[in-house]
Amino acid sequence: MKALLATAALMLAAAPAVAQEATADLTFTFDLGQPTGYVMVALYDSQAAFDGSGEPVRVGRLDASGADRSVVFEDLPAGDYAIKAFHDVDGDGRMATNPFGMPTEPFAFSNNAVGNMGPARWDRAHVTVTTDLAQTIHLAN
Amino acid sequence: MIPSRRSFLMGAAALSAAVVTPDLVRAAQAAAAPDWALATGDVEADVAPRALQRLHGRAPADLSGVLFRNGPARFRRPGGSARHWFDGDGLVRRFALSEGRVELSARFVDTRKRRQEERLGAMVMPGFGTPPDPRAEIGSPDDANAANTSVLMAGDRLWALWEGGSPVAMDPASLQTEGYVTLRPDLRSMPFLAHPRVEPGGRIWNLGMGGDQAIVWRLSPDGTLEDASLIPLPRASYIHDFTATARHLILVLQPWVRERQTLPFADGFAWRPETGTQILVVDKDDLTRRRIFETEAFGFFHLGDAWTEGGDILFDIALHRDMDFAARGAAEVVAGVPLDGETAHLGLIRLKADGSTNLTRLPVIAEFPRSDPARAGLSRRLSVHTTAETPDTPFARAIAVTDWSSGQTRSFDFGADHVVDEMVYVAKPGATDEADAWLIGPSLNLAERATELHVLDVAHLEAGPVASWRADVALPAAFHGTWVG
Repeated sequence: MKALLATAALMLAAAPAVAQEATADLTFTFDLGQPTGYVMVALYDSQAAFDGSGEPVRVGRLDASGADRSVVFEDLPAGDYAIKAFHDVDGDGRMATNPFGMPTEPFAFSNNAVGNMGPARWDRAHVTVTTDLAQTIHLAN
Repeated sequence: MIPSRRSFLMGAAALSAAVVTPDLVRAAQAAAAPDWALATGDVEADVAPRALQRLHGRAPADLSGVLFRNGPARFRRPGGSARHWFDGDGLVRRFALSEGRVELSARFVDTRKRRQEERLGAMVMPGFGTPPDPRAEIGSPDDANAANTSVLMAGDRLWALWEGGSPVAMDPASLQTEGYVTLRPDLRSMPFLAHPRVEPGGRIWNLGMGGDQAIVWRLSPDGTLEDASLIPLPRASYIHDFTATARHLILVLQPWVRERQTLPFADGFAWRPETGTQILVVDKDDLTRRRIFETEAFGFFHLGDAWTEGGDILFDIALHRDMDFAARGAAEVVAGVPLDGETAHLGLIRLKADGSTNLTRLPVIAEFPRSDPARAGLSRRLSVHTTAETPDTPFARAIAVTDWSSGQTRSFDFGADHVVDEMVYVAKPGATDEADAWLIGPSLNLAERATELHVLDVAHLEAGPVASWRADVALPAAFHGTWVG
């Protein structure tokens, strides 16, 4: 991405300045316990959306049986982002819970942030994207 | 430097000042050095294996085995402290007896809670009586699991038990922590009480509490899951312990009822004595078959094993006036504040075939009831229990055996310098009479600042220990344990 931007900058160098919004790639590599099912990832660009009052800006799905353990969100405008991810180990499309409602499939947030009796809070989970960024997320029970 | 008892107390009181009123702190500081503060003191690190010094007597030649015990032993850190006796980190003690010698080792259960709190230098996890701290990272109930209440041998593994999360497996020889036990993937993080009931044949029954429902665990002797079923409860009572006959599970539903989902856990409960106590009896073979008995209001933590007489079900219980100790007293104990509390008394509950209930209250101070594990769920006459707490001290100083056939209680008083833990019943080899057994358990000698281990003969309990040993360390009071012969 950096190379691409550099090339673009060179190509534009002779041209009159135009508004260029910087974009970047955000890559999450998942450290999984079991190679079955899917990793479901939702990307949010605001605290309000992350807290449940809005939709994710992107979603990703990773086949846990494959060799590639990364989800890449490409060409994101600069800004603050956070993900919620869970490993749908049994591949049924939902996050399984035990009979008392506690999750039994692994879940995680960007920054590997952990909540306090609930989902991680935005202030712990968000990252500020200005250039390409990669994180490894631990997603195993 | 070995701090004086007084400086220890004042340190403890100062660290815990946030929980108690200034009046109570002043009262604690003014009190004449309540020695028993050592019973809720902090152990800084694991205790490497060491031989105990024999004080007197001689160990029975045919007695060898290991006593495992668990109890909280770390309450205070510079950045914040636990505010309740039930919220300290579990330290598993291992007393190995063989050839007349005793070796002691102890290791903290290496929980995620403890790792996080060591990293932060603060006790941050919410618990039974400790409020949540914003620094805590909790993604699962097991992140707050203190693994501090009891132990269970499950096959060849030792499980450290809490009551709000999973068992934590340990190596019974090295006490190395191996990990949280998930009995089935869809039951991950389900609670598992610290009071499983083990049938003489080894089958393990337990509950996990979830408000007005419970999961009933049934495990084979090797710790593998045979069945797990949810049962509805008539009320969201606090249940620390249940009991069982050979055929029934018995759940005593005291009128301390969860009315709010809040933390700390105890704050969600309200004392409703006007609603009395309900007792739910469930058939082990068909958990949908149930009967509900009613009796007067009381508080309790601990029950003895149940048995049947004709169509009646009987079991013993350590009866509290209410649950003030859980809600308040056990917080003040950690703060070094003398209690004005009531002591628990021994009771016998008879659930009659005609559906009525009879509660007999004995004028005998009693907690931590135990009995012969080979008679669990079967007819028996003896209950082992601690005794001789006074309103000024929250801990027992004597051990007793009550005989239900005669109504007589015999005891041995270790004296005001001792905090006496629960003791286990160990049948003598080839024994047929129920009194033909040893009691084995520790005391904390407050004057010597040392943990001791004692063996008493049930038949001659009043004579005191047949042998005692003393360690070069002082471990705080513990809750529950098990003997592996």
